[in-house]
Amino acid sequence: MQSYWFGDLDEEGCHPFKGSLTDQVARLESIDWDPATYTPAEWEDAITCGYVKDRAEYLQKLRKLCFFIAEAKIGVYFRSKDIELVQMVRMLDELDDVINLLTERAVEWYRTKNPSFSRKYRSLSAKRVVQVMKKERDRTFGEIIADIEKLQESRTRLMREVTTLADTVLPNCSALIGGLVAARLISRAGSLEELSRLPASSIQVLGAQSALFSHMRTGSPPPKHGIIFQHRRVHNAGRDVRGRVARVLAAKLGIAARIDYFRQEIDHDFLESAQEAVDKAGGKKDALD
Amino acid sequence: MLWIDGVLVSEGKGGVYGEKMLRNYRIWDPYRSKLAAYYYGGAGLELRKDEVVLYLGAANGTTVSHVADYTECVYAVELAPRPMQDLLAVAGKRKNIVPIMADASRPESYAPLLEPVDLLYMDVADPDQVGIASRNSLFLKQSGIALLMLKTRSIDVRKEPEDVLQESLAQLEEKECVIRETNWLLPYHQDHAAILFAKK
Repeated sequence: MQSYWFGDLDEEGCHPFKGSLTDQVARLESIDWDPATYTPAEWEDAITCGYVKDRAEYLQKLRKLCFFIAEAKIGVYFRSKDIELVQMVRMLDELDDVINLLTERAVEWYRTKNPSFSRKYRSLSAKRVVQVMKKERDRTFGEIIADIEKLQESRTRLMREVTTLADTVLPNCSALIGGLVAARLISRAGSLEELSRLPASSIQVLGAQSALFSHMRTGSPPPKHGIIFQHRRVHNAGRDVRGRVARVLAAKLGIAARIDYFRQEIDHDFLESAQEAVDKAGGKKDALD
Repeated sequence: MLWIDGVLVSEGKGGVYGEKMLRNYRIWDPYRSKLAAYYYGGAGLELRKDEVVLYLGAANGTTVSHVADYTECVYAVELAPRPMQDLLAVAGKRKNIVPIMADASRPESYAPLLEPVDLLYMDVADPDQVGIASRNSLFLKQSGIALLMLKTRSIDVRKEPEDVLQESLAQLEEKECVIRETNWLLPYHQDHAAILFAKK
């Protein structure tokens, strides 16, 4: 017997499918498929079957079914929480860029209004320099500064939301490297599912693609770390052990991502041993031997 | 194929993706579409009004919309949700496009929806493009033909594109395919080769 979207064909003839679109999708998914014996259906079979009366109706019904399947799949994809997290963390990183750009431009403008102003030898953080510029009386300038300040506030709020969401969606990854960096890993990989399918060596250099490809093409030294460099245990580690910390951390992250994706719960035993392994990797080189 | 003063065009209602029009025909840009680049390279494969096409790697549906202008029906397979949204919008306007959201490397997931096709067109970024092509050649009619847009960089960035092409051709021949023609898509697309083949 051969099964097609419009019905089953066997020696006795054809049994057209009857039922709703949802049932039809469920039936399609349950069809057993053997490439050795399978032959694609001729569209005329659907007429013999009594399922449609002509080519136009065949295409119309098939399109209706395919649209239904695709829309359902797209819906499932966009409803998963990690996909929203990806968009949130990308927005966060874009906000950082935009705020920096606007602040730098505003400082340049501010200098023309206050020729004696210089930022060079004062410790003025980006946040404080905005506070200083707020005192300027020019109305348009003041409005722009207020907008920058508002963006900074949204950015802080968004960052907190990203961290909280990451803690629930990726509990194990977040426990290892913090919610924000974990979210950035997901953003680079595309989704939690894709991250969970990556080998540890790929996770280690995620975000260092240009260095990696230049290594493969020209043989320059391979990158030791990508995004995971942002985690304190990697960037605080001594130069001689940094590669090792990155490698161990990436290995544990690979496991953590799989627990996050397939079990969706925190695993304390795993985390304890993983934290220990990472800390040990950051110890003095001879301490391990 | 339709040419107006050396410009490749297709029939049908315009304004699908902001393409330019020429005397009420839609201009088919070789820099955007690998299939158009293939025709600009002087290839002879004609699309016919009675053909059924299986299109793997449909993406946003820009090339698909042109193929649909030339043929009877296009089965457009795409996996990623974002481009799929755009593809659905295109397919909504063209009644001869059947959008299938599935993984082209797993033909079993969409086999019951298909019918035998005259042309298998493939433009997917995957290291195993040859394997995907041969598994999907199951849907080809005996008289059918397959056009594989080989992305050599997706197969191996470390190797020379020419070597990747030769290896892929050898693999195809192992899998009972007869190579009819190969063309590079220069100057429109770097490191892409078009392979035209048929089943033995």
